[in-house]
Amino acid sequence: MWTDLLEAGIMASVLAAAVRIATPILFAALGELVAERAGVYNMGLEGMMLMGAFIGWLATYSSGSALLGLGAAMLAGVLLSLLFAFMVITLQIEQIVTGLALNLFASGLTTYWLRSAFTDMGSIPGITILRNVPIPFLSDIPFVGPILFDQRIVTYLALLSVPAVWLFLYHSRLGLEIRCIGENPKALDIKGHSVALRQYAAVLFGGAMAGLGGACLTVAATAHFVPDMVNGRGWLGLVIVIAGAWTPSRALNAALVFSFLDALQLQIQGVGIRVPYQVLLAMPYVVAIVVMMLRRKAGRAPARLGIPYSRDQS
Amino acid sequence: MTLLANSGWRIERRASRSSLALISALLAAGTGAILCCSLLFVAAGADPIAAFAALAKGSLGSVRAIADTLVRATPLILTGLATALAFRARLWNIGAEGQVFAGAMFAFWCQSAIGAAPAYIQIPVIVLGGLCGGALFGGLAGLLKARFQVDEVIATVMLNYIIAYVLSLLLQQGPWTEPGGFFEQTAIVPDEAKLPILIEKTRLHLGFVLALVLAAILHVVLHRSPLGYEIRAAGSNLRALQFQGVNAGRLVLVVFVLSGAVAGLAGAFELYGVQHRLKSGTLGGLGYTGIIIAILGQLSPRGVVIAALLFGALLNGSTLMQIKTGVPSALIYAIEAIILMFFLIAWAASRFRLRRLRHVD
Amino acid sequence: MTARLSIRNLSKRFGPVVANDRVSLDVRPGELHCLLGENGAGKSTLSSCLYGLYQPDEGQIIIDGEERRFRSPADAIRAGIGMVHQHFVLVPTFTALENIVVGTGSGWRLDTRAARRQVTELCERHGLRLDLDALIEDLSVGAQQWVEIVKALYLGARVLILDEPTAVLTPQESERLFTLMRRMTDDGLSIILISHKMNEVMQSDRVTVLRRGRVVGTIETRSTTRGQLAQMMIGRQLNPIEVESRGGRWSAVVTISGLSVRDTRGVPVLQDLSLELREGEVLGLAGVAGNGQRELFEAIAGVRRIEAGEIRLDGEAIANLAAAEIARRGVGHIPEDRLRDGLVPDFSIAENMVLGQHWRAPWRRGVLLDGTCVGEHATRSISEFSIVTTGPCEPVRRLSGGNAQKVILARELAKATRCLLCNQPTRGLDIGVIEYVHGQILRKRDEGVAVLLASEELDDLILLSDRIAVIFRGRIMGVLPRCAANIALLGQMMAGTPLEQVA
Repeated sequence: MWTDLLEAGIMASVLAAAVRIATPILFAALGELVAERAGVYNMGLEGMMLMGAFIGWLATYSSGSALLGLGAAMLAGVLLSLLFAFMVITLQIEQIVTGLALNLFASGLTTYWLRSAFTDMGSIPGITILRNVPIPFLSDIPFVGPILFDQRIVTYLALLSVPAVWLFLYHSRLGLEIRCIGENPKALDIKGHSVALRQYAAVLFGGAMAGLGGACLTVAATAHFVPDMVNGRGWLGLVIVIAGAWTPSRALNAALVFSFLDALQLQIQGVGIRVPYQVLLAMPYVVAIVVMMLRRKAGRAPARLGIPYSRDQS
Repeated sequence: MTLLANSGWRIERRASRSSLALISALLAAGTGAILCCSLLFVAAGADPIAAFAALAKGSLGSVRAIADTLVRATPLILTGLATALAFRARLWNIGAEGQVFAGAMFAFWCQSAIGAAPAYIQIPVIVLGGLCGGALFGGLAGLLKARFQVDEVIATVMLNYIIAYVLSLLLQQGPWTEPGGFFEQTAIVPDEAKLPILIEKTRLHLGFVLALVLAAILHVVLHRSPLGYEIRAAGSNLRALQFQGVNAGRLVLVVFVLSGAVAGLAGAFELYGVQHRLKSGTLGGLGYTGIIIAILGQLSPRGVVIAALLFGALLNGSTLMQIKTGVPSALIYAIEAIILMFFLIAWAASRFRLRRLRHVD
Repeated sequence: MTARLSIRNLSKRFGPVVANDRVSLDVRPGELHCLLGENGAGKSTLSSCLYGLYQPDEGQIIIDGEERRFRSPADAIRAGIGMVHQHFVLVPTFTALENIVVGTGSGWRLDTRAARRQVTELCERHGLRLDLDALIEDLSVGAQQWVEIVKALYLGARVLILDEPTAVLTPQESERLFTLMRRMTDDGLSIILISHKMNEVMQSDRVTVLRRGRVVGTIETRSTTRGQLAQMMIGRQLNPIEVESRGGRWSAVVTISGLSVRDTRGVPVLQDLSLELREGEVLGLAGVAGNGQRELFEAIAGVRRIEAGEIRLDGEAIANLAAAEIARRGVGHIPEDRLRDGLVPDFSIAENMVLGQHWRAPWRRGVLLDGTCVGEHATRSISEFSIVTTGPCEPVRRLSGGNAQKVILARELAKATRCLLCNQPTRGLDIGVIEYVHGQILRKRDEGVAVLLASEELDDLILLSDRIAVIFRGRIMGVLPRCAANIALLGQMMAGTPLEQVA
């Protein structure tokens, strides 16, 4: 049965699923990457994704438009990250504590909102999810076509975000400034530029991406919202940023490793190999710990990651 | 900011904070949270006053209600203490959640291993089992941090997910599954293994008193013992401690083991004092609420106990609130987080003050 | 001649502390103007006001006859003011060019090509050779300073403030810096040089002396003397302490042989280093910052792992023993970065005094710490070291730099019965405290303790040491007796010439 997995057809479908599953984490991780490059450790990623998943689902349900749902989810992510940015940048509250608070806040609020909007848990409605949009000609390429070019629109967007974020960080003025802030914010401050403003921008971008990523879980995947459905993907996003050494391309690799595991897990259950599902579901978390143990080879973290900047100190 | 600067006012950082600042931060957090909750009540179509009244009655309305409040507070005291202990050393142990599971599981394993025995043997075994289980699981996270430099937040969060699956695996057609049962749960534990009830006709069990005793012990440890000295020093400046030859890795491990042990006790008490059977899903959330409690309690054991009692009351009263007004009791989790956010903001804001600039021309 | 920059009656207060009190001064075009004063005299506050980092409470800043108000560095830069901070503000993982370009230009795109052309032009005009594509962390400290200067020039500075620019340079690098500054002033640039080193001050055009936030006076450098300036700066006559040299007569306390250490990135920082600390003797360690001094101190104190080599204390090997064990054998260590490495800021003075010995006998009663005993010990130390504080329970976070250093001094001197390690013990302190610290170090020496002393102030080093060792890139360039040491010789050695090759 294990050999079934190695067949080309099954492998292609595993890989296609891996690319699809990578979408939400990739969005979240890329947003987090930019925020961390600006020195802000957004531990509220999980909560922002959760809020995105919920709002995306709710807005799609009430408007009937998945696009509107995705937009609403991004807005929710932005609002939540605005609160986060205010707390950690302006008020300089401990970033880890604030992030955790935000996770609990998002978890409590979405659950309560869901319960009060739909009193009967059995009647929670589904939504029509995004369809695959095969790209003409490209999707006909054997093996590679179905993997890369027969996906949902959000997946294309996520994949395109990788070079976009790379271009932004390494070839735009603002990107250079953001990287500068993560390493030595004072260097920018003494040139007369606001550090806080750029950190806000980076965090809000991270929030929008996390909201979008979360929305992919409902709008592009399950069609239902379930309390705490993000189930650690936000945390995996943080691991991916670290494992990806704070660079977009390596973050993509890391995201694909995790999503491949996830896809493989689905396929293993599919072909009827008898492994307790708990073992399969726990795999990504075990792998995350192993990745963190081996990461010493990976790149350096931004020097000022997690340390609030104020001109008087340092 | 610029607007303020133009008009001759400036926001400045205070050099130090008074205890007045703490009180006003707490008041601001309380008021903000009440206002926010009222809004949520109205949004859910309920009368806020009725809802708050139900909340109060449900938590403090009778001896039984009060006893239940204390029962709900018991695990929160312990997870709050566990979190406070680690946070004091600036070790972000988010793993009280998983350590609760580990404590309950290890206690269950020990207790079922000794078989039939009188209560005076079973109860100490349960307490020790809870402590050891939590300590082992906390120690695992500490080891990852000290030996492999794995970020402790990520390590503990991942371990939280992993242990929940491990429990589910053991309960679902595993060795612990209730014979002939259909749910993911064990059989009811024997009567001798149930924690003694303190007041008749209530559910208040021995664990509450033990939790208070532990809080007192930890208070002394933190403020009077050399280990507590190291924990507090590590929280302020670990490097200075290392420069004096303190082994940071060992300290990390010790703190995680202690913190885990305290959290593990919460799991054992919930299992043998309240639920009387190991189920998947019913221990969830205790650890995360513990984080809120630790921060509200200013990372001091005394503060933790007070905050835990408050949250115990909230949780306990929410059931009646749901019956009387139809507001989902899930609101409580949102309220907890809202209180925390308001507190953090108010506390941080009390660091700043408005100062009028003299001699602005 | 109209002034390029005028300050009129500028005052700045921090709470009850008056950092600048009605300061007035003029800087002419093309002038090298020195701002002289002790630590805490208000030089840094004044320069921060000029650069828009602080807003003055009163007074005017006039540039080219026009009054300016600086709300942020952006305003100051627009007015043509540039600043080179004492501690460089560079991004170590960026290239020199990126450091110069970041935060400038317009539009979305990062246009390095145009920037490169302009920067190259700037360098050529001032005769600077700079590798624009080198990472800052790979550049020498001297080259990093060039980057800082080009950074300010690239922003269009016409008044350049240099804050203690030579603190981290070798004497030869300092000389080159002064040549460069002269070229720039000849070009019409005005330079404000903040310094407390007399030999540098004497190379300026005019000097303004600050004392306790006030201007004591501005004079033409040509018409004054070092002695007069020193007296203006301190407000009293300086009586240089006479220190009797007594090198080379006593037995070794600490012997270091073949010591090699790597830093956290795996780069070797100490290589095959050998040194001997002798009883009752001060061994000075001269060197430009970052040449392995810190690692040497930490290796002896047991804070840093040793890769190879041997360290013996009174004949017993102590290499890689725990720091607590080494301290117990009589080694005291005053670390370079006292706030980061030496103190727990949230702890009280009393608690800081027992840091590292908190498990030990006199402070314990049963399993608990004996608060009374710790408190009494602190009270005694506070009076013995005349620490200015509200009491032993005051958190050290609230103490001034000098008093914080005295807390460390009290703790480490008590430990140092055999050997005392002092890395930059007087950096950033007032002259009064510096004298006190020097006195304490000499007292220890007279008790027979072996002292290792590193300092950026070469004059102090020559004054206090019995022998001086020079360190360069983790190797000892040579050891000189005090009578043979002079600034020029030390400078050559600090730049990497071994003693035997110095002509």
